Amino acid sequence: MKECDDARFFCFFNALNMKLTKLHSLVGLTALLLATGCTAKQPSSCTNHFWEGQAPVITNPNLAKKTAMLCFEGYAVMHSGISRTPLWSAEHLTAQRIEDAQQLKRVNSFHAEEQLPTADRAELVDYVRSGFDRGHMAPNGDMPTSNAQYESFSLANMIPQHPKNNQILWEGIEETARNMAREDKDIYVVTGPIFEGSNLERLNGRVLVPTFVFKAIYDPVRKQAAAYVTPNAPGMAYQTLSIAELEKCVGMNVFPKLPAEIKAVKMNLPAPRPHGGRGGKNKPVEVDSFERQ
Amino acid sequence: MSSFTPYQNEEQSLAIDDMTVENRLDRITVYGSVELTRDQSGLQHARALKEVIDAVVAVLEQDKNLPAQVELKPTDQVKNPFA
Repeated sequence: MKECDDARFFCFFNALNMKLTKLHSLVGLTALLLATGCTAKQPSSCTNHFWEGQAPVITNPNLAKKTAMLCFEGYAVMHSGISRTPLWSAEHLTAQRIEDAQQLKRVNSFHAEEQLPTADRAELVDYVRSGFDRGHMAPNGDMPTSNAQYESFSLANMIPQHPKNNQILWEGIEETARNMAREDKDIYVVTGPIFEGSNLERLNGRVLVPTFVFKAIYDPVRKQAAAYVTPNAPGMAYQTLSIAELEKCVGMNVFPKLPAEIKAVKMNLPAPRPHGGRGGKNKPVEVDSFERQ
Repeated sequence: MSSFTPYQNEEQSLAIDDMTVENRLDRITVYGSVELTRDQSGLQHARALKEVIDAVVAVLEQDKNLPAQVELKPTDQVKNPFA
């Protein structure tokens, strides 16, 4: 097993991973308990969003506190009452779904998630005059019906995302995932925030601002997987990681049923093309590690 | 579309082709791309875009106390609860 501080890539969670190594057996047990707990609470409609019907499993015990899984038509989400953001959003994208989504353009409404206790959820007012976008984890552009689109505007699916990330590079990564679904007919996607470092920024005394964003993709046609990672900041730099590398860094098992040999090998992910390559000189650039912010 | 009153809420999101328009209290966020093709859909998109921009300009022009720059609410820093 490679350590996260391996010279090949920069890992966001060095301190955490050291802790995880020490707590290995405890974490294993927690993961098992969580997996059992999640399966029991999981409504049947949720399973379509996951590879082999198995939801991501959180392995970092701190991340697992005050969480609630919600199932929607187009995605499932694990919400944290601590960050008041999602920790992951999972979707199954097909070519047909993307075609349906493309034809459905309408007016929509951001809204607080009524299914969550008021103390645990973000409200629209938390984001007011924050300078941050309400960044979808499961994107509206993937949603094939009016109902699915509306549900994607739940704040349970949103993180405070830097506008220059959300609107340009991240949009390009979302479009790349849709293109993979168009070409290979069928992919599984898990998207989420990463909270790295000893301190975090917070909106309105309530909502934590992630430091990075990831999108993990499994393509059952190619039997290959990988993940994009970008800082939650302006810029066009992104990383690609194997699922094994990502999972060590994010404190969760994103595709629990995926064999270790598939997780170990990084699928060749295409360079994101924001808005069809528009955007002038600033093209996305893949990097081995990010500059410390 | 006529219900899009700029700077009045934090809820509304409109799609014009691949362009997104979001209503916020302190800003209108417009991003993405739109093809104004020389056909019926091009005219429809152009009108939708014009309607939004006209409404934005009207509100801004009527505001007698328009600041040089909008003021953001400061964030605070907390210990990472997940580390």
